[in-house]
Amino acid sequence: MSDHVPEPLLELRGVHAAYGSIEVLGGVDLSVPPGTVVALLGPNGAGKTTALKVASGQMVPTKGSVFVAGRDVTGVAPEELARRGLTTIPEGRGIFPNLTVRENLQMATYAGVPLGRVEEVAYERFPRLKERRSQLAGTMSGGEQQMLAMARGLAVEPKVLLLDELSMGLAPLVVEELYGIVAAIARSGTSILVVEQFARTVLGVADVAAIMVNGAVRRVGTPSQVEHELSTAYLGG
Amino acid sequence: MRTFLTATIGGLSTAAIYAITASGLVVTYTTSGVFNFAHGAFSMMAAFMYWQVHVAWGVPTLPAIVLVVFVVAPLFGALIERVIMRGIEGTSEVVKIVVTVSLFVALLGLANVIWPPTQSYTVLPFFNNAALSIFGVKVGWARLIALAVALAVAGGLRFVFTSTRLGIAMRAVVDDRSLLQLNGGRPGRTSMLSWAIGAGLAAIAGVLLAGEQTLSATTLSLLVINAYAVAVVGRLRSLPGVFVGSVILGLLVAYGQQYVSSEAAIGPVSLSGAVTAIPAVMLFVVMVLQPQDRLEARGATRVPTAARMPSMKLALWGGLAFVLVTAALGNLIAGPDLFKVAGGYLFALVMLSLVPLTGYAGQISLAQMTFTGIGAVAMAAWGASGSPLAVVASVLLCAVVGAVVALPALRLSGIYLALATAAFGLFCSAMVFNQQDVMPGLSRQVPRLALGPFKISSDYQQLVLLAVTFALVGIGLVALRRSAWGRRLAAMKDSPVACATLGLNLTATKVAVFALSAAIAGLAGSLAGRTFISDEFGLPASLPVTMLAVVGGIGSVAGAFMGGIFLGAFPIASTVFAANAIGVFRFVSLPVTDLVAFAPGATGVSLGREPDGAAPQMAAGFRAVGESVPSLVVSFAGFAALWLLARLDVVGGWAFVAAVLVFVLAVVPLLPLLFNPEDMGRKLATGIFVGLCTVVTVFIPWDTAIASNGMRALVIVLWAVLVVRTAIGVHGAVPDVVPRGPRTSPDMVGIDTPLTRADAVDAGRVLGIDEDELDLVTGRSQ
Ligand SMILES: Nc1ncnc2c1ncn2[C@@H]1O[C@H](COP(=O)(O)OP(=O)(O)O)[C@@H](O)[C@H]1O
Ligand SMILES: [Mg+2]
Repeated sequence: MSDHVPEPLLELRGVHAAYGSIEVLGGVDLSVPPGTVVALLGPNGAGKTTALKVASGQMVPTKGSVFVAGRDVTGVAPEELARRGLTTIPEGRGIFPNLTVRENLQMATYAGVPLGRVEEVAYERFPRLKERRSQLAGTMSGGEQQMLAMARGLAVEPKVLLLDELSMGLAPLVVEELYGIVAAIARSGTSILVVEQFARTVLGVADVAAIMVNGAVRRVGTPSQVEHELSTAYLGG
Repeated sequence: MRTFLTATIGGLSTAAIYAITASGLVVTYTTSGVFNFAHGAFSMMAAFMYWQVHVAWGVPTLPAIVLVVFVVAPLFGALIERVIMRGIEGTSEVVKIVVTVSLFVALLGLANVIWPPTQSYTVLPFFNNAALSIFGVKVGWARLIALAVALAVAGGLRFVFTSTRLGIAMRAVVDDRSLLQLNGGRPGRTSMLSWAIGAGLAAIAGVLLAGEQTLSATTLSLLVINAYAVAVVGRLRSLPGVFVGSVILGLLVAYGQQYVSSEAAIGPVSLSGAVTAIPAVMLFVVMVLQPQDRLEARGATRVPTAARMPSMKLALWGGLAFVLVTAALGNLIAGPDLFKVAGGYLFALVMLSLVPLTGYAGQISLAQMTFTGIGAVAMAAWGASGSPLAVVASVLLCAVVGAVVALPALRLSGIYLALATAAFGLFCSAMVFNQQDVMPGLSRQVPRLALGPFKISSDYQQLVLLAVTFALVGIGLVALRRSAWGRRLAAMKDSPVACATLGLNLTATKVAVFALSAAIAGLAGSLAGRTFISDEFGLPASLPVTMLAVVGGIGSVAGAFMGGIFLGAFPIASTVFAANAIGVFRFVSLPVTDLVAFAPGATGVSLGREPDGAAPQMAAGFRAVGESVPSLVVSFAGFAALWLLARLDVVGGWAFVAAVLVFVLAVVPLLPLLFNPEDMGRKLATGIFVGLCTVVTVFIPWDTAIASNGMRALVIVLWAVLVVRTAIGVHGAVPDVVPRGPRTSPDMVGIDTPLTRADAVDAGRVLGIDEDELDLVTGRSQ
């Protein structure tokens, strides 16, 4: 099913995953080729977040493997993957609410970029963050928090970027701005896997779209190919 | 004026020590989310260690300090994090509290073993107590050093936490551990470091305190409880708050010591303990002044298996059987042993009081023995003739006192209730149980119950009374759990936020449970029918109660009994083992009595592995045996082998009984897990362990080692339970059922698969509704 482009930067092969005895992923195959934006779509509870947790090393698959740049990284700790250039912005707000904006950015430096550079990139793209750099991140608005999270994704110049439900609970205008940045990051050569529940927000920037239903990838194609299939997926098909 | 100045300077230097200790407490709490009740015990260990290195081994002051504060203590802290605290990450507040309380008890036991209290340990103050004159007041160098160190600590911590990446990462771990990982930080290392710093700060305080008085393990460990009051000023999180609180408390205590004479009294109430009670009073005042906590949606992330509720029928028959077995066993036990066994039953009853509070409602109390004490003293005062009315009055008094104590803390989060109850325990020790009118000569006889013409007159009747009371209260608690109110408690434990949005008044419900719990503890005291000394109602006596109740499995009545018998068993075991120095243990050079001092705490610490306690684990094991063919085969083969050994007279009668019991309780329930091919190393270790235990059991000379039959039976039961508990500790948590294979996600049930009864039962169990009740609730019948 996957496109036959050169070696994918991130690949899940036959991944099964479970919470305790409840299996939620039943053989997921997914690949993110270099320089592309892949959108992973699907209804609530389909297992998208779980698939992302497996990709980022937060969950170890019960079966199957994860490859990054052709190397098997199944079972490698998330912090190691993060240091090797795989950046994840998790569901909800990917920030530390009780740290200041600047301290949040300092945490991004574990990925190997010095603080000065991180701040420079972040403040240039989001001048609002500069004004608030000594404010506690948790006291900012939802949109500003998500910008801070994105600033990390931008500044550490990852090889692969994983984004989970960037748009959740945000005003359409903010979402548009954020996806503008996703497109910009993609142009700089980073491969991106974006998870979204609602397709409209993301299909504009995606090169490939995959639909996940009930723990398995059901369809992969170009955004326009999959678009009309989405409604059936949401009705439980 | 001179005395005022002296007191002020003295108070400030005490404040310095509080500040150092409390900042250690705050550092570990903010960075690991675990409030370390053993922090004082860390200080205590450091003080003794300093004595060991400096006095016993003659190492000069400075290298000795460096060794203790900068090497041993940080390593110890890091080790504790790695081995214990990491395991309880994501468990409930109760488990976290109990694990550190257990660590406290274990370290206290360990210190008493290494540095026996029969000896005296003194360290000279720094510079041989040389003094400097400030404004005409002589101030010891030691005090000035304390002040300087506190300032250095304040500056150092501020720098580390705001200006270094590691320090910021330590704060980030608390906010979101997995997000830190996603950033590339290493939370494990960060947490270890924060525990190392916490332990280092505890050690500094310990070394500074060492010169102040003759070292006593208990006093030193408890002294640091003063730091709790100080930490609460900063809501357990703010370091500046800690320093402000320390100054206030330090000065209050110093002025108290200066101006309140030990003979002072208000009417008949002696104020001799008033100064000791200041920290506890301050803790309450600060708590009352604090605004209500925001409800935190974040709770335990590791979901405990929902405790199965016994049916009413099982509870009734179980209660009856329990009384009959007690009556039969009691008949076999002779005089003084009977008294000790009754002691175990009394503890079991006290632990039962934690079943509604901790097991059902997820709250905790560290002062149950204090309520027992209030019940006992009230009974002694009002019911000299043993009248049941006096029992009722005592129980009501405990309920009211419990409600008043809990109210301020319950508006805040769970940790505050633990602190408030600990403070209440200390307060009562200092201000109530040491009053001449309350406990003349620090002891008091509780009259035995008289029901009309029938008066409890022997230890045997007393034992049966306790068993009957335990059974009745236990049945009552099962009924309570099955009632609508019981379901509300369970819901509150699972999700306080959801309950609040449904309009339940959480505080009122919590206060009611706490009052019920205090009432049951008071009931135990009023029915005790024996003489108590005031120490039995102190905080060090209450901690093991809460700890072992949780270890036994606090969600269930059986768990409470297991814990009580455990606690009652340790003194029994130590006398039995000390008298006989049993052959099997002789080759282990550790004297068994020492082991006994250390064991309760150690079992509590292992709780991190199975937060649900022992009883539900065993029950889960038994249920699974029926589903596993190899387990059934091995079970029968084992029985046959034991029976054959007994038949051929290879083993004696008692050894056979003991071996069968160990086999049934420890080996059989673990079999299905051992045959489950995951994590073979641990399985193997557990298998070898239980196998060895069975063999050892067979070869203990039961017939000669212990004198009376009843005692033998009891020791055998205890031994079996101990084996089970340790085996579970070796293995780690036992899953409720062996995995059943793939299932659809609960969210999809009813959408792409039909809703089956099994799904409904699963959902019901989580909500505390069990199978036979389900139809009632859903209004459907099968
Ligand atoms: N921590 C968890 N424990 C148990 N089940 C979970 C947990 N997280 C998610 N699930 C279940 O796994 C399934 C997939 O969830 P998730 O990956 O979050 O889906 P999505 O992100 O597509 O909405 C859901 O049915 C959900 O109920
Ligand atoms: Mg999701």
